[in-house]
Amino acid sequence: MRGLSKLLFVGMGLLLAGCATDPTGANDPYEHTNRAVFDFDQKLDKYVISPSASAYVAVVPKPARTGVHNFLQNLDLPVTFVNDVLQGEVHRAGDTLGRFTINSTLGVAGLFDPASDFNIPYHKEDFGQTLATWGVGEGPYLVLPFFGPDPPRDAAGQVVDIFFDPTTYISLREHFWYSAGRRYLVVVDLKSRNFDTLQNIERGSVDYYASVRSLYRQLRNNDIRNGQPDVQNLPDL
Amino acid sequence: MIQAFSRTHVMGGLRLLALAAVVAIAMPFAAARAATPAEEFVQTNVQKGLAILNSNGSKEQKRDEFRNFLLKLTDLKRIADYTLGPVKNSTSPADLAAFEDAFREYAFAVYESEFQKYSGQTLKVTGSMQRKADDYLVTTVLIDPNAPKGADPIQVDFRIFGTPGHFTVADIIVLGLDLAITEQDDFSSFLAQNNNSVKALTANLKERAARVRAGGNLSGK
Repeated sequence: MRGLSKLLFVGMGLLLAGCATDPTGANDPYEHTNRAVFDFDQKLDKYVISPSASAYVAVVPKPARTGVHNFLQNLDLPVTFVNDVLQGEVHRAGDTLGRFTINSTLGVAGLFDPASDFNIPYHKEDFGQTLATWGVGEGPYLVLPFFGPDPPRDAAGQVVDIFFDPTTYISLREHFWYSAGRRYLVVVDLKSRNFDTLQNIERGSVDYYASVRSLYRQLRNNDIRNGQPDVQNLPDL
Repeated sequence: MIQAFSRTHVMGGLRLLALAAVVAIAMPFAAARAATPAEEFVQTNVQKGLAILNSNGSKEQKRDEFRNFLLKLTDLKRIADYTLGPVKNSTSPADLAAFEDAFREYAFAVYESEFQKYSGQTLKVTGSMQRKADDYLVTTVLIDPNAPKGADPIQVDFRIFGTPGHFTVADIIVLGLDLAITEQDDFSSFLAQNNNSVKALTANLKERAARVRAGGNLSGK
């Protein structure tokens, strides 16, 4: 654990250093680079992810895709549980534990979702959100190759979450390929379920990059507030 | 699936867990209270909108009816002006009016493309908050009969301005995504790259509206 806390402190230092604000208000000092990486990610989406997702929908029947989706969601739950606890969300931690127990056993290793029949809804927490509830700002906007929008707080959170994930400690000879394969599957699953929405956003945007930046931040903040409306900070229309 | 489980006897502990979860979820609704005027306003207009969507008229008839309904219901000028941010103050009245028109057409193009996909969803009012004398947030949940089991409930919040009897909808927030904020962030980036020219933005919006109506071509330029 000592290594972990050291990593944490380094991460926090980086975040604080990155909290400088810029005059335009978009907090995107690396916009030029970010746009280039965004273009790269879009090409990746166009030539790799979208064709994969189309093939996935065409080849794999819907019940099997639902099974994959359930399985991937269930795999997230140990990390969610640790973060629920770190955020002091006792009730939600209970939901996560109940859900993981039910779906891993009755739900055949997470392929089925009987927990939803018991009204135990899915939710996801990550260490980026935990840092936010501890008062850490997201830092300057960053777009990373392969990962998309990923400002320092959320990127550092993802690194820490690796340590919270029990599958990290299963000794696999080809661990890189397990991680890469899982990540790929998560992205293809996400894409296949949100084709229309993503296309509509692109079609409706004047500046797609700026829209995605805005939507990423709003979605993150909504997740950090656990879906509660932010009544204080509504726009002054 | 749930019936199959309740027939087995090994499920005692799990049922307790499930019961606890059900009670926890039902709790906020247990404290029944009368709907506020803002909540009633949203509920009534959801019913009106659904009646148009479910009516037997032709596609064009329904579209026109829905358009008139939204024109009366919404305050698109208010949201359009907001999306310009500080640039609004340095825009001539003529340019501003042209922009407001283009924004309205763009909004309707988006609504109408969604309108085609309507398949039985409805909204259930879950609560409301009053921010100022004439500023409310009404929270609802989208009920989708076609949603897969266990899908996250979609929260849709409406920003209502005015006084009872004179309410208008000025903003909509879906899953925490605020339409006014999203458009302002989108437009302000465009304006920054185009010498704050509202004329250029108006032209771009017209193009976008046409593209949304055509439903194709994602080239972006």
